[in-house]
Amino acid sequence: MRKMILAVAVATTVPFMLSMSGCAFDVIHVEQTTAKLETSSACGQDFRLVEAVEIRLTGGYSRSLKKDTRWNCVGTIEQGHVYRTKDQILTVEASNIYEAYIVISDNKLVGFYLPVEHSFSPLKDPLPLTIEKSTQSKTKDE
Amino acid sequence: MRMAIKSFATILFTLFIVGCASGPKYSEISPSISEVTPDKGRIYIYRTALLGAAIQPEVKLNGEVVGKAVPNGFFYVDRKPGDYKITTSTEVDRHLSLLLDKGETRYVRLNIGMGFFVGHVYPELVEKDVGEKEIQKCSYSGNK
Repeated sequence: MRKMILAVAVATTVPFMLSMSGCAFDVIHVEQTTAKLETSSACGQDFRLVEAVEIRLTGGYSRSLKKDTRWNCVGTIEQGHVYRTKDQILTVEASNIYEAYIVISDNKLVGFYLPVEHSFSPLKDPLPLTIEKSTQSKTKDE
Repeated sequence: MRMAIKSFATILFTLFIVGCASGPKYSEISPSISEVTPDKGRIYIYRTALLGAAIQPEVKLNGEVVGKAVPNGFFYVDRKPGDYKITTSTEVDRHLSLLLDKGETRYVRLNIGMGFFVGHVYPELVEKDVGEKEIQKCSYSGNK
């Protein structure tokens, strides 16, 4: 009888543990859609961020774009122009962490381009940015 | 009862000591670390957290084991420019994706997060000035 109880306990506990370890802490995902970065098409003008911006990501994480960071356009995707900076690290975080560039359309931050995944991750609510467009000739990073 | 507590404390202490990196500190050996060659970039991977010292998963770079998440330990890898994924596995996989440019040095800190059965180790890309400061007290744990 004791053996029977033990067998039942093992038979129920092992699948439970496996299912928990497989998904319990992997429930927050970064929403992504495949995006093709066009580097040959007309790019947006480089700019300096005049005011810092706080961004709320899905899943409760937050990120900030620092004041005075300089952003260079590296290409265009369907959702807008893609900008990269060397002045700060920017990542998008959920269960995993992804290095990210920002995507701007009509002077609003609409989401992130994930260069390793080649995908676009949208912001729920686009954020207006206060920027100062660069008057210098543009240098491309990519 | 006292004996049991003593034994438990001794085991914990031993695990703690054994679990920490024991190589030379970064601040001591940094002058002797060769500079990255111009055609490559460097990624420093380090762990400052002592919490969960017994949890020391392997660290993989694009699927290849390059080191272990040893508390107070660091190691580095030089790689050609490109896309990289750094992964640690405990009860779940956690990864960080990043780009590496020529001549660039990047710092990845291995943090400890809460888990269901065991803590999770997850890699986080940190600013260069933060990485340079935090790695000073870490000891070289070697690759693989």
